[in-house]
Amino acid sequence: MLEYLARRVLVMIPTLLVISALVFIIIQLPPGDYFTTYMNELQSRGESIDKAKIEFIKKQYGFDKSMLEQYFAWVVGMLHGDFGYSFEYSQPVSDVVGDRLLLSFIISFTTIIFTWVVAFPIGVYSAVRQYSLGDYSLTFLGFLGLATPNFLLALVLQWLAFSTFGTSIGGLMDPQYIAAGWSLDKMLSILEHLWVPVLVIGTSGTAGMIRRLRANLLDELNKQYYVTAKAKGLPPGRALVKYPLRMALNPFIADIGNLLPEIISGAAIVSIVLSLPTTGPMLLNALQSQDMYLAGSFLMCLATLTVIGTLLSDLALAALDPRIRLSGGASR
Amino acid sequence: MSPALLCTAIASLVIAFTPHCVNAKSYIEPPTLAADVAAGKLPPVGQRLPETPYIRPMNLANQSIGRHGGAMKMFMARPKDIRLMVVYGYARLAGYNRDLDIVPDILRDLEIEDGRKFTLHLRPGHKWSDGVPFTTEDFRYYWEDVANHDMLSPTGPPAALRVDGKPPAVTIIDDVTIRFEWDNPNPAFLPALAGARPLYVYRPAHYLRKYHARYKDTAKLNAKAKKKGQRNWAALHNKLDHQYKNKNIRLPSLQPWVNTTKGPSEQYVFKRNPYYHKVDPDGRQLPYIDQVVFGIASSNIIPAKVGTGQADLQARYLRFDNFTFLKRNEKKSGFNTRLWRTGKGAHMALFPNLNTNDPVWRKLLRDVRFRRAISLAVNRHELNRVIYFGLALEAQNTVLPGSPLFRDKYQKSWAKYDIAEANRQLDSIGLEKRDDRGIRLLPDGRPLDIIVESTGESTEEADVLELIQDSWALIGAKLHTKPTQREVMRNRIYAGETVMSISSGLENGLPTADMDPEDLAPTSQVQYQWPKWGQRHETMGNMGEAIDMPEPKRLKVLHKKWLRATSTDARRTIWHEMLKIHADQVYSIGLISGVLQPIVVRNTLKNVPVKAIYTWLPCAQFGMYEPDSFWFTDTSPPKKQATYR
Repeated sequence: MLEYLARRVLVMIPTLLVISALVFIIIQLPPGDYFTTYMNELQSRGESIDKAKIEFIKKQYGFDKSMLEQYFAWVVGMLHGDFGYSFEYSQPVSDVVGDRLLLSFIISFTTIIFTWVVAFPIGVYSAVRQYSLGDYSLTFLGFLGLATPNFLLALVLQWLAFSTFGTSIGGLMDPQYIAAGWSLDKMLSILEHLWVPVLVIGTSGTAGMIRRLRANLLDELNKQYYVTAKAKGLPPGRALVKYPLRMALNPFIADIGNLLPEIISGAAIVSIVLSLPTTGPMLLNALQSQDMYLAGSFLMCLATLTVIGTLLSDLALAALDPRIRLSGGASR
Repeated sequence: MSPALLCTAIASLVIAFTPHCVNAKSYIEPPTLAADVAAGKLPPVGQRLPETPYIRPMNLANQSIGRHGGAMKMFMARPKDIRLMVVYGYARLAGYNRDLDIVPDILRDLEIEDGRKFTLHLRPGHKWSDGVPFTTEDFRYYWEDVANHDMLSPTGPPAALRVDGKPPAVTIIDDVTIRFEWDNPNPAFLPALAGARPLYVYRPAHYLRKYHARYKDTAKLNAKAKKKGQRNWAALHNKLDHQYKNKNIRLPSLQPWVNTTKGPSEQYVFKRNPYYHKVDPDGRQLPYIDQVVFGIASSNIIPAKVGTGQADLQARYLRFDNFTFLKRNEKKSGFNTRLWRTGKGAHMALFPNLNTNDPVWRKLLRDVRFRRAISLAVNRHELNRVIYFGLALEAQNTVLPGSPLFRDKYQKSWAKYDIAEANRQLDSIGLEKRDDRGIRLLPDGRPLDIIVESTGESTEEADVLELIQDSWALIGAKLHTKPTQREVMRNRIYAGETVMSISSGLENGLPTADMDPEDLAPTSQVQYQWPKWGQRHETMGNMGEAIDMPEPKRLKVLHKKWLRATSTDARRTIWHEMLKIHADQVYSIGLISGVLQPIVVRNTLKNVPVKAIYTWLPCAQFGMYEPDSFWFTDTSPPKKQATYR
């Protein structure tokens, strides 16, 4: 087990290095850089800025160095916890991202809980009562959630929330709490705004989860051990929870690998439509304005979380699913 | 005269003058500052104001004397938009008034000799927002320690301070008088000071000196800079010293409202500057409004937020197509929506690229008959009706009716929809041959496929082009739209790969004769009709191509003459000649102009003009309309909005 763990961790290093190089190259691929984008934007609004001044600023930020040097400076900096400098905010990247992470985390976490709470019972129900009226109607609802474009649902719900409850449009809290410290009222205001994004992001995830759980459970329900258990007189509820459900939990655990990065990038489009102060819109803006260190650090963060998440879910699966063995070796 | 009579005469004189000269006793303290004054944290208002404050006459139509208080909420899409507070605040050394004249503002007085010798008189007793006196030392610091410091400004003083590459002689006469003197006239100087993004020729010396190597230990400063993630002290100094970007909350300011929020944040609060130099006729220190709040929200959601009554004043990020939505919500949300005309020469114009690489196309585009023909074949009335509800102006890309240089004939030149005449013009060039689709053929046999490149950022451009496509088909020209990314499009234009592009027209549609006509002459690469000639000018002849057409050559000569002209009359004559050449030669095909900008104003907010022009130059969007004189009739904090069904 330890040897396996060590091997996996060691493999992560070259993986992340390759990812960092790719990220850096891809961000640099579009024509121009942050400063040309910035200049164009200013000009398109009628402002102008001295070209010589831009050259000077570029030099100050090390744009005169070669790509390779810039890349190494960035990677080495990241190892020290220095994620570079955001041009857009003219602040170090770590300062910029700071408080947005918390709100992103709140939203993503609530959404995940929401998805599980909804998907789990429905998935079990529709597997046990396969092809019943309930199965069909719940599945239909799930698919509806999957099929409705998120941004549309977000707009509609947002308007409904405003016109029926008077919830202010956009953002995650009423404006007067933005600068205020944490208080009960602020929490309530956040709760008041939170349900729209949670519902919107949640609905799309729910359907997938329901279907996977249903399919896995159906596989198990037809197996002999379950039939035997029931035939021996085990109460149906207990029989279900004790054996097939545990098998069917596999996808939930395997999902952890995807959940971690989602906490950061989660539902960028919905966040943009709802103007949420989370990290998703920030990442998009950074990519659009070619704010390369901010975007690069974000993407690196996502990559790291994905790699770690995959490792965690593999480990959890190995621990929880008796069918997976680490010591088996290749079967051929 | 008897003593009694004399007394009465003096008394009446005093009475006659009181509205204009308010004495120190009668200045009115803003209530929000009263507590600080009582506690001794701030000196009373009479000591905070300069000896002779700027008195806003408040005598324009629909302008009324207001009262202190309130917070004005606006929305911005990005944290860096906080620079707009400097634009809206619009405290300039000298700024535009509503007649578009440049008048002293922060300055008490301004003397100009021969357009080359500028003597600036500051207001004695004027103070920065932290209470430190604002004197010529702040100008000296800028000139000697910033503009001419090889680490802070390696390229030397900015272009507006140079005439023929030569910097001015700067003489400090005393604490409140300073002179800038050039050998030749510098017409760019005052407009640069008055700009929406102004040229700052002064710095808060007392604050910045702490970060300058001339005054502090370089090694220590460099260490401090490293700690803040900057390369060296110069980078740190430049970062802290950005009056326009408005990010450094410790940087003293002269603006009516100063930033108090250190980013990043969802909301930026700008509080009143207790040392602001303006008062109203009753002696109330301006601004009336205590604070301005910028909420940051994504640009797509701002119209919705505004429509639900969350903003007190908003124009940015509202588009004309939001108008009906806003109008519908007026009553419920307690605001009214005004329509101001935008001030660009043309909201949209087509730019034939006279520097295009393809020789056949280049020859054709340079033929004035061709440019006139495609202009005649644009049905501007239809564009106006279909897309702008008939509210825009059907005009060429030229100055707008609000400008003193406006002439009807410039606007109407080759702008009438006349297919028959357009066809005659094209026939006379020798494009008679057509293919079986009815498309004319170029001299080398290719069909007349005109590819118009657009940035693809707005569907509006695509809609307009689609309408033009129909009318151009009638003259045997096929229009193709090619949306690309802005940078890509620019690079293609610069390289001459584009035949035609669509963009907005003259940046300043409201020029006076004293404003630089550089947009009309080939002076910049961003002029899509002659990028290579513009590049030639920008790079001082190192890159680009020499102008090889007589009229653009003439425009260049005229622009040079304008820069040398010493009188407004001479400048006006030059302006008109340049405008006439443009009207006649149709270097850009103006499609529509004076498009309307919705302005949302809370019902309780007073002194916002009902009709005005919304533009960056020269109006600084709201800046010229004196936001420091806006006031709320009801200053109680907003309640949570009532729900409605």
